Amino acid sequence: MNIVVCVKQVPDTASERNLKTDDKTLDREAADGLMNELDEYAVEEALQIKEAQGGEVTVLTMGPDKAAETIRKALSMGADKAVHLVDDALHGSDALQTSAALAQALRKIGFDLVILGSESTDARTGVLAAMLAERLGVPQLSLAGKVEIDGGNVRVERQTDYGHDKVEGSLPAVVSVVEKINEPRYPSFKGIMAAKKKPVEKLAVGDIELDAAAVGLGNAPTQVVEFAAAPPRAAGTIVTDEGEGGAQAADFLASKKFV
Amino acid sequence: MVDFSLSDEERQMRDTIRAFITKEVMPLEQEVLRNEREGRSSLPADVTRELREKAKKAGFWGINTPEEYGGINLGPIMAVIVAMETGRTYVPFGFGGTADNILYAGNEEQKKRYLLPTIEGERRSCFAITEPGAGSDARNIRTRAVRDGSDWVINGEKTFITGGNDADFVMVFAVTDPEKGANGGVTCFLVDRDMGWKSEPIHTMGEWGPAALVFQDVRVPHENILGEEGKGFELAMQWIGQGRYMIPARAIGAAERMLGMAVEYAKVRKTFGNPIADYQAIQWMIADSHVEIESAKWLTLYAAWQVQQGRDARHASSVAKLNGAVMANQVVDRVLQIHGGMGYTKELPIERWYRELRLLRIYEGTDEIQRRTIARNLIKGHVKLGEIG
Repeated sequence: MNIVVCVKQVPDTASERNLKTDDKTLDREAADGLMNELDEYAVEEALQIKEAQGGEVTVLTMGPDKAAETIRKALSMGADKAVHLVDDALHGSDALQTSAALAQALRKIGFDLVILGSESTDARTGVLAAMLAERLGVPQLSLAGKVEIDGGNVRVERQTDYGHDKVEGSLPAVVSVVEKINEPRYPSFKGIMAAKKKPVEKLAVGDIELDAAAVGLGNAPTQVVEFAAAPPRAAGTIVTDEGEGGAQAADFLASKKFV
Repeated sequence: MVDFSLSDEERQMRDTIRAFITKEVMPLEQEVLRNEREGRSSLPADVTRELREKAKKAGFWGINTPEEYGGINLGPIMAVIVAMETGRTYVPFGFGGTADNILYAGNEEQKKRYLLPTIEGERRSCFAITEPGAGSDARNIRTRAVRDGSDWVINGEKTFITGGNDADFVMVFAVTDPEKGANGGVTCFLVDRDMGWKSEPIHTMGEWGPAALVFQDVRVPHENILGEEGKGFELAMQWIGQGRYMIPARAIGAAERMLGMAVEYAKVRKTFGNPIADYQAIQWMIADSHVEIESAKWLTLYAAWQVQQGRDARHASSVAKLNGAVMANQVVDRVLQIHGGMGYTKELPIERWYRELRLLRIYEGTDEIQRRTIARNLIKGHVKLGEIG
């Protein structure tokens, strides 16, 4: 089983995140870079499938040089090798362009199964899995809370608001996962040392038969026109309990559709 | 010339430990405070065991244990970094898979019976040299071992023995030749609890308690001598000297965490309409604490670096230990002050740290002993002024 996990380096959600004023792209220098949290679940799932079925786990990321940190983390967790798609021409690519570049890289690497987190904590478009599947012409099984490989098929429990759907598709396929699926392992110290020696292949736009004029900020079909900081949080509602406090709290929760 | 940066691997290990401590250990903090407030032990034994199992599964095990014993032997610098991270929480927790350095001095049979089960966590050791009349002046120990056929009979009392309440064997130091005393007349024995020694908890101002050990005609087979007869004092010095620089490491983690709490509190706590962070009195406390933490950090890492280089690190270790112990006590005092009345309550962990960190200025060589060592090294010319590195 040849499994490719797509991972993304995102700014730490615990730090202050900003867009740059000049080109309206993410200011990667302002915050520490971390592996997108949902991608950790994707790496874990890939490793578990490999441990059960045998095979190889390749990490694929697209991002600047700094994204090598995220590759290293995935390798430390136990992935076998990595491909780093890195090229200045890719800077500012939107979801459509990113999926085109990753699809080309995936074609070059070859795969039975592609696993990725269902969305990133920075852009939060949540569309990459669908775009990749479409471009690669393979089934997409999204929002997986459980994955089973059975011969040439993959079965997932797709998480929904009301429970889950059982969905099955043939391999090769693209699967996106949610955090319910597993508990990602910590990279072991031995794994961290071993990661140093694992192969990381760097690919540029030219290596994946992609036209540089088709990617990057200047050629993006979508644009960030304007952005504004989120408004400061409004003061909360204080319920003074004069015998009716419980009911008032319940009404408040109901008005927000929490109950 | 000087490179203060962590390697990629070191940084990744640091981040991983930090994530483990944050996600797995810190969530237990409120439970620890509650248990201690209500007079129970800090954490139930099964919770600690579970945590260690989790850590072992993640590969945080045997951090300074040689690889041939299943450890990962990360070396002194990484050990300091790990201790700084674990020190961020007051939950009493340490990674398993380690054993006292002098247990490696045992013969094959002793290694099988004592060293390996200790590394595995199946047995628990304690180190007993201090006596009511011999602390910093360990050469004055009075506990006596007398040869009787193929056995030795031990009589005496040990005190302030860390881990002595739970240990199932002790590395105890006794005088076997009073003529020679510390110069070839002290021997170390491995003594199982079921050979007859007793322990009594000593209650302290901290949450942990050492033990007093009593040896009354405790009969120990000759083969339980660790190392050589009469060479016990050398082993004791080896044990004491092994990681003095590790003492401040945990305190640095604690001090940094507390300073973080103080900064956050100062930003939200308002007096006379302004956050107290606006006041110079508070700012100076914050600044001084940071400066002291940073100096402790680099002195400690410098001592660890010396050990890693195979140099004689005794002087640097004393400097780091003295500085770190004083720093921790000053920082916790300021952090408590910044928190005002809240800092004094048992709702927050600051007063707990305040009590715990006071020990640092006393154990493993008091402030005064460190100063004595440092001064003597200079006066006798063992250490030259004006050197770098």
